[in-house]
Amino acid sequence: MRPLDPRLLRQVRAARAYVVLTAALGVAAAGLVVVQALAIAHVLGPVVLAVSPGGDGTVDQAATTRWLATLAGAAAGRAVVAWAQERYGRRAATAVVADLRAQVVAHAVELGPRPPAGAAPSDVATLATRGLADLEPYLVRFLPQLLLTAIVTPATVLVVLGLDWVSALIAAVTLPLVPFFMWLVGTMTAGTSERRLTTVERLGSQVLDLVAGLPTLRAFGREVGPGARVRALGESARRATTGTLRVAFLSGAVLELLTTLCVAIIAVGIGLRLVHGDVDLVPSIAVLVLAPEIFLPLRRVGAEFHASTDGLAATRRAFAVLDLPATPAGPGTAPAAVGGTLVLDEVTVHAPDRHVDAPAGLSARIPLGTGEPGGGRVVALRGPSGAGKSTLVLLLLGLLRPDAGRIRLHAADGTTVDLADAPWWDQVAWVPQRPAVGPGTVRDVVTDGRRVPDAALDDAARTTGLDAVLAGLPDGWDTPVGLGGAGLSVGQRQRVALTRALAGAADRPVVILDEPTAHLDARGERTVLDTVRAWRDAGRTVVVVAHRASLLALADQVVDVEAREVARA
Amino acid sequence: MPETLRGLAERDPLLRVLPLLEIRWARVARAVALGTLTLVCAIGLAAAAAWLVARASQMPPVLVLSVATVGVRAFGTGRAFFRYLERLASHDVALRGMAALRANLYDRLARGGADVVALRRGDLLARVGGDVDDVGDVVVRAVVPASVAAVAGVGSVVLVGAFLPLAGLVLLACLLLTGVLSPWLASRASRSVEVRGAAARGEVSARTLELLEDGQQLRVAGRLADRTAALRAADRRLAAATDDGARVSGVSAAIEAGAQTLAVLGCLLVGIPAALAGDLAATELAVVVLTPLAVFEVTTALPAAAVQLRRSREAARRLLALLPQAAAPAPVPEPAPAGTLLALDDVAAGWAPGAPVVRGVDLTVRPGAVVALAGPSGVGKTTLLLAAAGLLPPTHGRVRGGGLFVAEDGHVFGTTVLENLRVARPDVTEDDARDALDAVGLAAWLAALPAGLDTPLGTGGTDVSGGERRRLLVARALLAPHRVLLVDEPAEHLDAATADALVAALAAHARATGRAVVVASHRLGPLGLADEVLLLDAGPDGAARVVARGPHTALLRADAGYAWAAEQERSGPSPAAVPPRPRP
Repeated sequence: MRPLDPRLLRQVRAARAYVVLTAALGVAAAGLVVVQALAIAHVLGPVVLAVSPGGDGTVDQAATTRWLATLAGAAAGRAVVAWAQERYGRRAATAVVADLRAQVVAHAVELGPRPPAGAAPSDVATLATRGLADLEPYLVRFLPQLLLTAIVTPATVLVVLGLDWVSALIAAVTLPLVPFFMWLVGTMTAGTSERRLTTVERLGSQVLDLVAGLPTLRAFGREVGPGARVRALGESARRATTGTLRVAFLSGAVLELLTTLCVAIIAVGIGLRLVHGDVDLVPSIAVLVLAPEIFLPLRRVGAEFHASTDGLAATRRAFAVLDLPATPAGPGTAPAAVGGTLVLDEVTVHAPDRHVDAPAGLSARIPLGTGEPGGGRVVALRGPSGAGKSTLVLLLLGLLRPDAGRIRLHAADGTTVDLADAPWWDQVAWVPQRPAVGPGTVRDVVTDGRRVPDAALDDAARTTGLDAVLAGLPDGWDTPVGLGGAGLSVGQRQRVALTRALAGAADRPVVILDEPTAHLDARGERTVLDTVRAWRDAGRTVVVVAHRASLLALADQVVDVEAREVARA
Repeated sequence: MPETLRGLAERDPLLRVLPLLEIRWARVARAVALGTLTLVCAIGLAAAAAWLVARASQMPPVLVLSVATVGVRAFGTGRAFFRYLERLASHDVALRGMAALRANLYDRLARGGADVVALRRGDLLARVGGDVDDVGDVVVRAVVPASVAAVAGVGSVVLVGAFLPLAGLVLLACLLLTGVLSPWLASRASRSVEVRGAAARGEVSARTLELLEDGQQLRVAGRLADRTAALRAADRRLAAATDDGARVSGVSAAIEAGAQTLAVLGCLLVGIPAALAGDLAATELAVVVLTPLAVFEVTTALPAAAVQLRRSREAARRLLALLPQAAAPAPVPEPAPAGTLLALDDVAAGWAPGAPVVRGVDLTVRPGAVVALAGPSGVGKTTLLLAAAGLLPPTHGRVRGGGLFVAEDGHVFGTTVLENLRVARPDVTEDDARDALDAVGLAAWLAALPAGLDTPLGTGGTDVSGGERRRLLVARALLAPHRVLLVDEPAEHLDAATADALVAALAAHARATGRAVVVASHRLGPLGLADEVLLLDAGPDGAARVVARGPHTALLRADAGYAWAAEQERSGPSPAAVPPRPRP
């Protein structure tokens, strides 16, 4: 595992700035550590010698004062460096997370309505919010220590080399042993700990699943029984985790043992050579102070190892999403659809994990409305659940490419394009089963950034039944709607979306509705029928997925969508 | 217990949650003891090395140094050993605590009376996992480090103070800076980031979700660019909040980094005159000056500990809010009158006192009966079913007997198909399961599953579509021992033909087994199968009441609105049977 994903530096500009800043502060920190050690040694050494038997009992006051001032300077300097790392490092780290989040989300949207496994909206949402949040501790805590290891450790070893080459040799021999032993322990234990970690995660999610299912269990009168199971699951989760930790903490222990033992050996070695007069006291003290600093960043790296694995896992998953081939909007632009014809030619989409083609081999000619009043058309897509009606809608929108066959638009001007290559999004208003609503005022949501006269808005609201909803809202058109339509019921959201397609997107000649009556009772359904009629009367083409007879009865053309089972591989 | 302490124990959510962790304090003490030994080794190593070097510089016979050299090596080895044991011990305490907390939480929730509303709030449940971890972490990340720091900090101050009391005071002052001031600042900073950042973080999550869930719509509508910009703006606000906190936590970090050098400096300033005056031996001076270099390891974990303590406390507060206030015993339903399975006498039900959602309902359900509740969405059909099931105590009138409430959003557990069905009854056999799935029209679905009844569903398993889920829930209800099934909106997410077939299956089941079915449906189509339809509509006071009742055919004749609504949604036996109607 690489401790720093090079793609992070290549693709996230903020990450480069962060690494440069942290490295610069690391150099400053290394310098201060060395200065501090030398200052302590130069103050303490002469005093110890002076008051030892045989000493003269006096010290060079001026030199002592100078070195004490240097030490005070080092204290201030270390404080400033730590402050700057926290103050600016954190800011840069948030910028990195924000940048990566925006990239991942934008790319996930480009993956289209049927993203491959692992890139479903819920997965990416977890990654983009909680997952990438793991990146921050990695950047704030782990990465600086890693850079310090790369800067401070060699710098200190070099200084020690100048002071006492034997101690430098001991450190230089120990240092490579640390990663080697950690690697050894890591490899020996990787399999076990991963297996156990999966067990732990599974046990944990089972408990949460039981808690989430409590209302259901209570309805069955079976809520008390699983209490014992929760306890048992917790107990086995604990045992499994303890097993993992016993192994996982080993690498930390090895790291700690090697580094502390090395410091001890250096100290004992210096002591024994001092006795024989092979070294002087001042460099000895400096080495003694510096020796732990050689290993300190390395030990902190070990301590923040968890932050690194989580952060790196998040980075890896983020780049895994970014590496998925996107299906960006086709390069072309579709010609005007008004008066044209859609031609579906043996259109087939293979449904993942269902062993069916839905739709299967669908062919149809769908003439579109003329755009003139009275020239509109209503086209119903009909078929049992799972026949591929919603899939067909995505195909018509050009958001999905058929696995076989194609959908072409023969425009009135004689040109022909494949909708997957040249999307006609600027000509289509789409009201899916769960329409996107908000945030903003109801007016903002309905007009969707366009200028629409109030009279037209009120007209549209009367047709869709939104007027009744508005009457019940505190500020009418100016009532704020939360993100995701918070504050409105499903039926109300549907009416808002219908009104938007009627008034706000009045310039779009094609309207595509996916099961507009799904959540409505019979009375709510009437407003949908009125709306569909209004669109047709305005000359627009309405493509509607319909279950109910009332909608089918309104249709000028019904396209039957069928699924077909395919032989299992 | 003194009054103030008791008051604190009642106010502090963390202390109130603590009993649920079933912590054995002997285990905590063991972890603290091991942690202290770790630091004793670290500090002992520094002190012994300082003494060794100072003494060695006086060139004594080597034997004089042998105790110190052995001590240095022993401390060097012991530290890693004790640290390993301490980490295992404290994590063991935490894991036990989390397991106990989860189990106790589940027990309290399960036994806490009929608080269905709170449990239906998925957002609360979604946080339970994280909150339990946060409360459990208080042991590893706050209690143990703080106790260890207190013991080892005092110990090292005493050690240094024994040689030179003034140096001990200098060390104490610096330790207070890093052990008290710095953690306090860090905690304050993290609170300000969390409080100020909460809104921004919420918006970032919401914007992210919006883009991911509605991204395709936004693409088609040409609104993708400005929603992406809105996400970036929300992230900038989050960064600004983090920035504000970093101003304070920066000071905390600066104190931590500077205090160690400051302590050495202070010890030098008081130590050198003492040594020159002959009050302090050379070796002692070295110990006094160089020991503080190792002592500050004691407090390094404390800023994080303070932050964790605050987080744990907030998590504990959320968990307490989730728990039912008093463990109300579930009301024992009155038995139904002889010859009936369920009887409602002038029942009113609602969620808030004084504001019934539905009122004045009389209903008698006999074996084999099929009753339907009709009416517009949101009128109060679900509320009435919950009251009939005994899950919501009626605000007026009497419910005798009871039944199984089959929620529209019932939970599909993350386990196999068979185990999901066994939620109804532990002794469901594979044949029972197949029959039930067949009855609701899921035979083909079952056949297509990779491992049949042993296919895992839900989280980490096969995805279940809305319609399949709906039918699976009904199949599970069919297997339950309850004599009355109260089914909420069985037709939702299903096309007309499948929906009607499902209601027909329910009716047939009731008539064949002598059980009874009460169905709430805003679709009127399949209600011809019911013996009696209760049409609910809102009255002048907002509460729904039964405005008409009788068999479907009678209501069609008697109630114009009902007849119209039924006509609007009328569809043939299968969708394909409706001929496409060309436009004139």
